[in-house]
Amino acid sequence: MSEPLSGLRPPVSRLPLEGIRILDLTMVWAGPSGTRLLADMGAEVIKIESARSWDMLRSLHFLGGKTERWWNKAAYFNHNNRNKYACTLDLQTERGRELALRLVAMSDMVFENYRADVIGKLRMDYDELRAANPGIILVSMPSHGKSGPESHHVAYGTNVEQLSGLASITGYPGMGPHKSPIAYGDPNAGAIAAAAALAALLHRAQTGEGQHVEVAQWEAMIGNIGEYILGYQFDGALGESLGNRHISRVQGVYECATPDEWVAVSAGSDAEFAALCGVIGRPDLPGDPRFADVVSRHHHQDALDEIIGAWARTRSQDDAARAMQAAGVSAAPVLKIPRLMQDEHLRARGFWESVTHADAGTWDMEGPVWRMSRTPAHVRIPPPMYGEHNTWVLHDLLGLTDADIAALEEQGVTSREPNQGVHA
Amino acid sequence: MTAPLHGIRILDLTSGVGGPWCTKLLADYGADVIKVERPGVGDESRGHGRFPGGVPHREKSALFLWLNTSKRGITLDIETATGRALMLRLAATCDAVVHDSRPSEVARLGLSHDVFAARNPRIVTTSITAFGQSGPYADWRATNITSYAAGGQHYLTGDADREPLQNGGYQAEYQAGTWSFGATLAAIWNARETGAGQQAEVAGMEVQAAILEIYLPDFAYRKSEVLTTRRGNFSSAVVGIYPAIDGHVGVHAMPKNWPQLIDALDAQWMAADERFVDNRARLRNDDDLSAQLYIWSAGLTKQQAYERAGRFRAPIMPVNTVADLLESEHLQTRDFFREIEHPVAGTMRYPHPPARMPSTPPEPRPAPLLGQHNAEVYGELLDLAPRDLALLSSAGGI
Repeated sequence: MSEPLSGLRPPVSRLPLEGIRILDLTMVWAGPSGTRLLADMGAEVIKIESARSWDMLRSLHFLGGKTERWWNKAAYFNHNNRNKYACTLDLQTERGRELALRLVAMSDMVFENYRADVIGKLRMDYDELRAANPGIILVSMPSHGKSGPESHHVAYGTNVEQLSGLASITGYPGMGPHKSPIAYGDPNAGAIAAAAALAALLHRAQTGEGQHVEVAQWEAMIGNIGEYILGYQFDGALGESLGNRHISRVQGVYECATPDEWVAVSAGSDAEFAALCGVIGRPDLPGDPRFADVVSRHHHQDALDEIIGAWARTRSQDDAARAMQAAGVSAAPVLKIPRLMQDEHLRARGFWESVTHADAGTWDMEGPVWRMSRTPAHVRIPPPMYGEHNTWVLHDLLGLTDADIAALEEQGVTSREPNQGVHA
Repeated sequence: MTAPLHGIRILDLTSGVGGPWCTKLLADYGADVIKVERPGVGDESRGHGRFPGGVPHREKSALFLWLNTSKRGITLDIETATGRALMLRLAATCDAVVHDSRPSEVARLGLSHDVFAARNPRIVTTSITAFGQSGPYADWRATNITSYAAGGQHYLTGDADREPLQNGGYQAEYQAGTWSFGATLAAIWNARETGAGQQAEVAGMEVQAAILEIYLPDFAYRKSEVLTTRRGNFSSAVVGIYPAIDGHVGVHAMPKNWPQLIDALDAQWMAADERFVDNRARLRNDDDLSAQLYIWSAGLTKQQAYERAGRFRAPIMPVNTVADLLESEHLQTRDFFREIEHPVAGTMRYPHPPARMPSTPPEPRPAPLLGQHNAEVYGELLDLAPRDLALLSSAGGI
């Protein structure tokens, strides 16, 4: 093992994954969101890009065309790649592949989220990696999996929720399927892949065996609606979207005094409903036959929504949520992003961490979500600039001479700038 | 091969969705998960349904059956002195305790990490709640919708001229469970390396705030509110859901997929049309592009559109229903659905765990009946005899 990069190591307490090295071939969101979880925990994640195959997220910057080195300034990329290192290696060249396999030999895991056939075309499939490192853990994240009659399909994040059935049960009642605003299949698969990699690591510690983990993003999302799969087998009903409502609770979102500012309120038991009625100044409602019991309330939810809505329209979303919570009723403001970043709860928990980056400047990003009491994680390494750690990987890790490194750049195996036309 | 989590034992104090999903994942990959339920009542999801014929039965709730596979189930009233003593003895044999209690409940029930660590310094205590164990909202009551609302995704979901929309099922809860699954394993790995456990805490609100795609990063960096509003079913013409003859199809094309997209649409003329000549032009003429996709999709079945997309490798997918999934040839070829026989609810097809690991135990076990493994677990781990169990049972402890 080489010396770690000076000045970038965390202080005293040993992070859970210190000493674990990950070769990260993933791009866009699914793979990088998964390796970010492991990087946050202290794994040494080395992200590989090349001039002709670099992370598309670097191109989604919205800063206009002229800004210098814009590929280092995209927040979408930078949030998802903090705590990682970046090195360029063109895996489509013989020399690039050879060096990548040398990195495999000194790594614990390799992550890839290429289309199903790409890793084979690069001659870097599991058997090739295992020849370089018998204990290697390979995590592959193709959308449809590597086998089966539809494995040639190409899909992105919102496609995954369409395939998985989630879109079919999301929507305003009676209005057909609705998409998530985010490419939800991506972070879902990423979180599963990171956890599965840890399971494989525990398994390797016990048995000495590595393995090839496959996270088919489509499959990885079906479990999130597993109760609909079983329910269908009971009653043949496809499962209709309930919108903001619930199978047994009475709940909804209500517009507050400021237009398009909303509060979510949800009441289940009779006691919770009585408390809700107290908050809105209508202690008479539990005595109203329309609202006297769980079943009646369900049948008269439209009327109830109007009553709660009239109350909410006189309050701010924060006052409304606090009043409900003070009485023991589930409620929360429907936070818009600017408000979310000011929210006192996340502020008090130290959720936002300031990061300073040589090209992109200083701003706040979300901190690690896995909150460990003895080994707290933080943003300790700023998001890597394109090719930022070439020298560290090539010289310090792989032991190449300055002349070798210059030759690699000359041959285009490594690079200092991406080919800008790739993601125009 | 041995199961990946063989030899790891978990004491599961959770109920509902998020916690049980976390421990189900641990169990499906081979951990010995001991699920604790309240005597006579059990997990709240036992009452949730759906039920065969619509008739409630605590052993036949789809939500419970799905979220509790491969676990061993015991009953134990942890609010009694006897129950608490047994819980602590069980925890001392475990790698992790997983609970879903707010701070006030943690205090009332005595579930803090220190309590468990005093008897077992290597233990991991995983806490899965909506708002975490600290901060002004930590004791707030929560359901799936409150996490979805507070975490920022709710406001972004739905149509601009309507109310924010919750997505289907219990996604905020499932997501918190998935992230807790990983956090628990990271802490167990660390405990095995160092001999010291710790608390691993996951807050549903923070999970949601961390998965806001480009929307949160862009605002955090540029302070522009351009990407902070609801945009309905279309992020753009090429990222959205369109009607088909027998349902809907979804398109999610990046700029580099444009040639494949127009091949799939059999509309090569669009390559030369100045409205669509590059990404910038296409965004300017988003409605025209949307019209072309609408005309195309409305004339095909979901399957026809999907097959054509596959032939040209264009990112267009069917909006599958659960019936489509159970009939999918692709998923069948991959043995995705596995039959599990449950002694009361019968045999059904269950989705495979989300990651394929060669070392996954091949045969999942059905969710436990209420108290099904009392004799086995208390006998094996605490050396209690059947007579002792009868005592506990008659006192209402188990």
